[in-house]
Amino acid sequence: MFETLKSRLKEVRNKLDNGINEAEIREGQPAPVPAAEKSPAGGTGIVDRVKVLIVDRELVISEADISEALSELELVLLENDVAFPVTEEIIANLKKELVGKRRKIGEPVDTVVLTALKKALSVVLGEGFDLINYINTHEHPVRILFTGVNGTGKTTTVAKIGYFLKKNGFSVVIGAGDTFRAGAIEQIDVHAKRIGIKIIQHQQGADPSAVLFDTVQYAVAHNIDVVLADTAGRFHNRANLMNQLEKIRRVMKPDLIVYVDEAVAGNDAVIRADEFEKTVGADAVVLTKADMDPRGGAAISIAHTIGKPLMFLGTGQGYDDISPFSPATVIEELFGDVA
Amino acid sequence: MLDKLGSSLKDALKKLAGKTVVDRAAVEELVRDLQRALLQSDVNVKLVMGLSNAIKRRSLEEELPKGVNVREHVLRIVYQELVNLMGDGGEVTLGSQTILMAGLQGSGKTTTTAKLARYFQRKGLRVGVICADTFRPGAYEQISTLCAKINIPCFGGPEEKDALKIVRDGLPSMSGLEVIIIDTQGRHALENDLIQEIIDINTVSKATHRWLVIDAALGQQASEQARRFHEAIAIDGVIITKMDGTAKGGGALSAVSETKSGIVFIGSGETIDDLERFDPDGFISRLLGMGDLRALVERAEETISSSDIDVNAMMRGKFTLRDMYKQLESLNKMGPLKQIMSMLPLGNMKVPEGVYDVTSTKMNRYRIIMDSMTGAELDDPTLISSSRIQRVAHGAGASPEEVRELIKYYKTMKRALKGVRGGGGKFDMQRMMKRFSG
Repeated sequence: MFETLKSRLKEVRNKLDNGINEAEIREGQPAPVPAAEKSPAGGTGIVDRVKVLIVDRELVISEADISEALSELELVLLENDVAFPVTEEIIANLKKELVGKRRKIGEPVDTVVLTALKKALSVVLGEGFDLINYINTHEHPVRILFTGVNGTGKTTTVAKIGYFLKKNGFSVVIGAGDTFRAGAIEQIDVHAKRIGIKIIQHQQGADPSAVLFDTVQYAVAHNIDVVLADTAGRFHNRANLMNQLEKIRRVMKPDLIVYVDEAVAGNDAVIRADEFEKTVGADAVVLTKADMDPRGGAAISIAHTIGKPLMFLGTGQGYDDISPFSPATVIEELFGDVA
Repeated sequence: MLDKLGSSLKDALKKLAGKTVVDRAAVEELVRDLQRALLQSDVNVKLVMGLSNAIKRRSLEEELPKGVNVREHVLRIVYQELVNLMGDGGEVTLGSQTILMAGLQGSGKTTTTAKLARYFQRKGLRVGVICADTFRPGAYEQISTLCAKINIPCFGGPEEKDALKIVRDGLPSMSGLEVIIIDTQGRHALENDLIQEIIDINTVSKATHRWLVIDAALGQQASEQARRFHEAIAIDGVIITKMDGTAKGGGALSAVSETKSGIVFIGSGETIDDLERFDPDGFISRLLGMGDLRALVERAEETISSSDIDVNAMMRGKFTLRDMYKQLESLNKMGPLKQIMSMLPLGNMKVPEGVYDVTSTKMNRYRIIMDSMTGAELDDPTLISSSRIQRVAHGAGASPEEVRELIKYYKTMKRALKGVRGGGGKFDMQRMMKRFSG
């Protein structure tokens, strides 16, 4: 995850540094100083910059200094699957942050650029989500509903999180809410047996709300800590399927709605995350198939669009292949070697 | 968002209209808009850059052919380059063949396998399916349930762990069949042992086709994944799935360019019949979020001759049922209303959504109903009282509700057209159309 992004970011950083360094050399020449002072009409920009240079011993970064590097950065983000609107916003923020910024002559250029980039990304990625802490601080059973479009890995994620919680000492029950897809009930049933978790299921074609309601009832009756509710994959542009999800939400009253999407998704990730957030809401995000994709731009896109924390990353086919997502570590990893 | 892009593309094109030489700035603006549209559709960044350079170079360097204006010239180049990018649709033969399905986890291989089986079955071929997905729980149940529904034999063993063995055992049992489709487990390019497995399956099965299944939402990763799959088993066709969502399928283009193959099918729904052959024009218009580009290239005005619709009368608000009848007739030649509207240079004008929600079958019903109206009613729809509605319904074999619906639709159309006039101020629609078509 994020490997390509990391290496490409480094290149851009170098470029950015060069751009600013060149500017520094240009301005370092004493010749234009008196000229600028003599003709104040020659543009406040130059006068200001020179003034700052002389009085405060600082340099002002201009838009021209960084525009090339920024458009490079834009391409880098796009290449790494950060969705188009998100990329534009990050770049715009970065520009706003950098242009007109003063920096001391002695201060390494690195630091200025780096802090801006880091700040932009950490705002986007947010805080992360501690599931165990959440379960401990909420009334049991904690009801967790999983949603997402087809084929993103909801069922596998339910199994993995079930296993994760079980290892952490919680009792878990799974509701087989995907009653639509052929073989889906068998799939989650096999998973549940393998990891030793009780599963509540009806036959194919049953009302998923009923299945999940039963699951919650079972959990209440047996003092179980966590209910994991699987659902059928659905597209956000199918009104009746989204209504069904809305009904499920009304019936089982989940404490936590987890939106599952895949790390390899491109621009559409933004559109569908937004739709799901609007119709049924989402409290946290799980990104699957992160092992396929060293880029991870979808993480940035989704987090930016719906502003909800990323809870887990799915990183493989085994039940252990799930890792809590910590934005701080990721950002450290991205920039760590320079900072 | 994409609608906006489509219209900004159109604006850029409009700037080229009426020019005698190709204007560099206008071309650059056009290319920039095109880039944005394609990047939003997940087309690979490098492909986009290559494409836009080619368009820029050709537009500025190639000599303007005689009798073609600048706008048409540039438009044609854009269209040709786009078609180049996605290659011809891959070939599908209707004969004996073995098809090996490959793709990432969750891309929709199993569903597509069943759809393909159905496709060939409907073409009159005997089809069999081998389920070589030994990993995912429920995979065999899934494909065998789907196959049972359409009466197609499905070979597999839910207990068997060796996919190769299943393929080896399965092939002889399918000897009498013409098309054999092998569904495999999802895998990605970084899982070396799984890549080795599919290489072995390919060798053992001597597959005639190896098709790569790509999720329409797949982003920039598509080219990397496709490259590795191609290196392993020489992919010769790409299937895009989940096109019924909002994803644009640009990732599949990267796969096409990496594998030097073509798109064979598009999956666009959850039922077994939701599989279409690939149509480059429809795909391009989806990628760019604008109307049918080829129709634009091929001079759409041929079908909208002024005798068909009295545009100016419509703009003056004198839009009668008779006009609508003519319009419905020309629709058959033109394609859906939304596309016509999107080809007209109306800028960012808002047309009520409901106007478009009329399917072609409904259009035909409307025409039949209108055939049962008198000339006076067609000229002045306000005449149509409830007893007349009854009569028309009887005559057309429709229900009174349908007749009322038609009248309601007519009113919406009329309002929409009034809106066009009001929003645009004083303009001559016919002149606009002429200018638009060059």
